[in-house]
Amino acid sequence: MSLMKTPRSLDLEITSRCNLRCRYCSHFTSAGDVRDDLPKDKWLQFFQELNSCGVMTLTLQGGEPFCREDLKELIEGIVLNRMRFDILSNGTLITDDMASFLSSTGRCNGVQVSIDGSIPTTHDVFRGKGNFKRAINGIEILRKYNIPVPVRVTIHRQNVRDLDDIAALLLEEIGLPSFSTNSATFFGLCRKNTDQVQLTAEERSLAMKTLIRLSKKYDDRISATAGPLAEARDWLVMEQARKQGEGHMPGRGYLSGCPGPTSKLAVRADGVFVPCSQMSHIELGRINKDPLKEIWQNHHELKRLRERGNIPMSEFEFCKGCGYINYCTGNCPAVAYTITGDEYHPSPDACLRRFLSQGGVLPDEELSLENG
Amino acid sequence: MTCNEEMIPDINPAIILREEFDDWAILFDPDSNTVFGINPIGVIIWKCIDGRRTMRDIMKMLHKDLDDVPEDAGTHLNEFIDDLVKRGLASYTNL
Repeated sequence: MSLMKTPRSLDLEITSRCNLRCRYCSHFTSAGDVRDDLPKDKWLQFFQELNSCGVMTLTLQGGEPFCREDLKELIEGIVLNRMRFDILSNGTLITDDMASFLSSTGRCNGVQVSIDGSIPTTHDVFRGKGNFKRAINGIEILRKYNIPVPVRVTIHRQNVRDLDDIAALLLEEIGLPSFSTNSATFFGLCRKNTDQVQLTAEERSLAMKTLIRLSKKYDDRISATAGPLAEARDWLVMEQARKQGEGHMPGRGYLSGCPGPTSKLAVRADGVFVPCSQMSHIELGRINKDPLKEIWQNHHELKRLRERGNIPMSEFEFCKGCGYINYCTGNCPAVAYTITGDEYHPSPDACLRRFLSQGGVLPDEELSLENG
Repeated sequence: MTCNEEMIPDINPAIILREEFDDWAILFDPDSNTVFGINPIGVIIWKCIDGRRTMRDIMKMLHKDLDDVPEDAGTHLNEFIDDLVKRGLASYTNL
């Protein structure tokens, strides 16, 4: 497969700091949880290199990006170097002044805000008291300045029965065009709090069924690339293939769940290049020291990750005797790493056979497939 | 607006040329968030546009750098640069 000469976009963890300590935060206690934030001048120097490499978009994340006192100056550097930007935020620190500034740049694709409940109880249970109100206020401020707000709902044990009301709040009451979902995943702090936050097989079944129904009700305005909604859609396809006795499905039967870094790369808060924010243990080099283009095109770890899709599922003891082996992709390498210690292994969390053996139930097939 | 041989095109400095696969590329306008795909010849022309060279100069460079330049290349060059101007990716400096 052809590789772009340079990445189109980068995820930058511009800070390791955050004003919250959400109990399923993927950042804290991960390899990306570094002690020191890179100073402003180092980022600004790096943006010049990104300009010369033709990078189009930066996603600013953390930590909480709005914790950086010099955020405006960083954004001015992004604009000066001909790029656009997105921000991932908990929404609690957004002010009129900041929203006005973001809007004035003309380069902000949007600020993603996390909303995990329809009421303070379900949002604040793992994010801290008062933060539902603050996040909703943040969304309202951003919308006042016409900044797109792609809300993300992280599903966990305390909000899995609140999904109908969350959808009604976001899509009807607030009037967002859409929102996306995932679920608390075995990264960062979630690893310590998994019994409290991660869905059981029964709750996962409920989440899948509910999200499929809501997605239909709201004309596909609910999306997902991971978590119960994405799993429901993927697993239904696998189940149908198994029932119909299909020998193989194109692109499946191999560790093809993630093609590796083919269009984007990430940088930790200390300036270390990593393949993705969730695989911050794989250090590829350091900004302003190692050229981005050289790392992108020639680093052996990236080459290896990009070839992960050639590894057949049949190589793994974990997959022996599985009826879904020819239809499975092994899913996310980062989750595989946090669970097994090996990113070149299928993710046990995404294993349909395991889900069913734990008592999980797939949603009604007709409803799911009808809904795409 | 149709250009003539004396016109001098210049690129919009906000535009990014991203050479992606092989010699193909895109022009990215970060202000409008739009992309415009160009082929390898388009990339060569884009790199010739510097705010000093006339259309005639650029045509000469194409003849110098490329083999088998077709007879109607001048028309295609005019059309290409007119298209860039219409899209806000370039402008004529001596209008």
